[in-house]
Amino acid sequence: MNKKALLIGAGIIAVAAIGAVTYSSAQKKKWTINTVVKITGIAWFNRMEQGVKEYAKSSGNNATQTGPSQADAAQQIRVIEDLIAKKPDALAVVPMDPATLEAVFAKAAARGIKIITHEADSQKNTLYDIEAFDNVAFGANLNKRLEKCMGGAGKWTVFVGSLGSKTHNQWADGGIASAAKNSKMQLVDSKQETADDADKAYEKAKEIIAKYPDIKGFQGSASTDVAGIGRAVEEAGLNDKVCVFGTSLPSIAGKYLKTGAVDGIGFWDPKDAGIVMNKVAQMVLEGKKITNGMNLGIKGYEKVSVTKGAGKGMIIRGAAFVDVDKMNMKSYPF
Amino acid sequence: MRASQKLKFLQLERLGYRPFAFYSGVVLRQVLNDGHIRFLIIANVLILLVAALLSRGAFLDPYNFQSMATQLPEIGLLAIAIMLTMVSGNGGIDLSVISSANLSVIVAALACKALFAGADSSAGLGWSFSVLFVLIALTVGTLCGLLNGLLISRARYAPILATLGTQLLFLGVATVLTGGPAVILGDVAPLSQIGNGDLLGVPIPFVLFLLVSIGVSLLLSRTRFGFRLYLMGSNAKAAHFAGIQTATVTLVTYTLAGSLAALSGIISSTRSASAKADFGVSYLLIAILIAVMGGVNPSGGYGKILGLALAGVALQMLSSTLSFIGANDFLKDFMWGLLLLLSIGLAGSSLFKVKPKPVPS
Repeated sequence: MNKKALLIGAGIIAVAAIGAVTYSSAQKKKWTINTVVKITGIAWFNRMEQGVKEYAKSSGNNATQTGPSQADAAQQIRVIEDLIAKKPDALAVVPMDPATLEAVFAKAAARGIKIITHEADSQKNTLYDIEAFDNVAFGANLNKRLEKCMGGAGKWTVFVGSLGSKTHNQWADGGIASAAKNSKMQLVDSKQETADDADKAYEKAKEIIAKYPDIKGFQGSASTDVAGIGRAVEEAGLNDKVCVFGTSLPSIAGKYLKTGAVDGIGFWDPKDAGIVMNKVAQMVLEGKKITNGMNLGIKGYEKVSVTKGAGKGMIIRGAAFVDVDKMNMKSYPF
Repeated sequence: MRASQKLKFLQLERLGYRPFAFYSGVVLRQVLNDGHIRFLIIANVLILLVAALLSRGAFLDPYNFQSMATQLPEIGLLAIAIMLTMVSGNGGIDLSVISSANLSVIVAALACKALFAGADSSAGLGWSFSVLFVLIALTVGTLCGLLNGLLISRARYAPILATLGTQLLFLGVATVLTGGPAVILGDVAPLSQIGNGDLLGVPIPFVLFLLVSIGVSLLLSRTRFGFRLYLMGSNAKAAHFAGIQTATVTLVTYTLAGSLAALSGIISSTRSASAKADFGVSYLLIAILIAVMGGVNPSGGYGKILGLALAGVALQMLSSTLSFIGANDFLKDFMWGLLLLLSIGLAGSSLFKVKPKPVPS
């Protein structure tokens, strides 16, 4: 039995050693900053990781990105708990649901870890929350573009990744408020949940098209929403009849932008957000303060507004939103 | 004791029912001779060694063990709930555990917040808030389990279908009650201790998990209920003809699973200071994974708490190790899967079985 047991042990050690290589190559840097995203392996957060890597390279700090493999607030807590035990200098987190993270952030702070968040302006236990722009204005902007495309009249609906996601709801509410000013814009089946999953968005969009054959517009919130909606619209042969706008990236929605199934997307560059989060974390660690009108040295964050947050922390807002359609999508290769 | 009863008791004893046997050396040896338990002990030791090596000792920081001991119980309790339903046989499983857990704490949180709205958080109120919260959550969870039990034992639904239905039902009710976002529980004094406090350095969630493990282990090995459950799980027909009220045993099992789910919900909600309809939806497969890896037979009749606890600890350590070395989270899923396959493949092999000692001539 001993020989075989040894062999199995060796096998397990070998597999674990894959991780060890990445670990040992990132030692002896100035600050350790861990970025924790909602879910790993989707284009949005892959782009953010590019920013984190770029920051690590230029600053010389040990900055890495991680996150759960499933979009579940519980899994994100577990990842953060493990990181707290490891004790990095700062954590830069994109929360699944800010409320569920308050306790674990308090725990981190008690252990001397600085907390920076992104897309969570209701978060209490954060030092700085970074918002790329005013969310309500962004949602309204998306809806104005949708309204124009729809010719100012017709049935439309809005999707969100999850009803618990603060920003998705703010964009949706911004859009709903904007459309409410025009009585010809008729909202149906508001805020369908898609779990940040293109397949779910596709299913939901198909249901909506079946239920309302005269649907004219879709507004998506999760980066995967318009891809799913676009697929459903294309399959139904409604490219020219239905307008689709939403938050997404050219790499996710590009295919459908080209065919016209998706008419336009809006976003902020998650790569820049990743860099800004880490930069702010570094400034906090160096004991610096971020003040109103400060230039953080990244496009869209040259003159940030700093306001009081939900707790003791502050909210940093940039003006970093980008409108993209078929014409200018080539300038954003991600 | 009536004569007929006494006869039944004797029959049970012949079948191996020993309500008053205490863990002696014999029992300990029996435990260690179990291939699954051996595999899991070795796996745990190996993972711990590798983790210590890879992190250059940092993994052995007591804080890290506390952190892991806080994370394990909420999934561990769900796994125990699922184990009980699996042991009951007839394709037993409870897919609604997470929805039950979330619904329980959401109802409790909303009710307590409504009752104590406007009251300032003086010490006395904190206690009544906490006690009420726990009571309501446990009651709702138990009712959820009772509904499952009734559907399965009385209406004769297949467990997988009944609990799939109630899973969606409970999730739906919870989503409607909250509208989606988390209900903020806040930092209510004694209540938040359940999820965040510790007893002599041992996190309270882990203390609760240990107590429940011991309790369920005793329930299974020392009581008539446990014996009937195992017997029913391995052969429902024989159990029925032996005079066991299988419907009642099933009902009690699923109800108990609901109560355990609620306890898990209480731990996770106090730990995150919030209650959310879809919190931990990804825990379901992990809980099933822990139960199966712990040696529970999914077709019923067999399963030990010790195996389940060891499997839970192994998975938790593996997951924390990978987080510690900064590995991709998908590697964790991969490693968990690998460990499950290894446990199935190796535990039954001659590798972990004790060769019978040659009889001295």
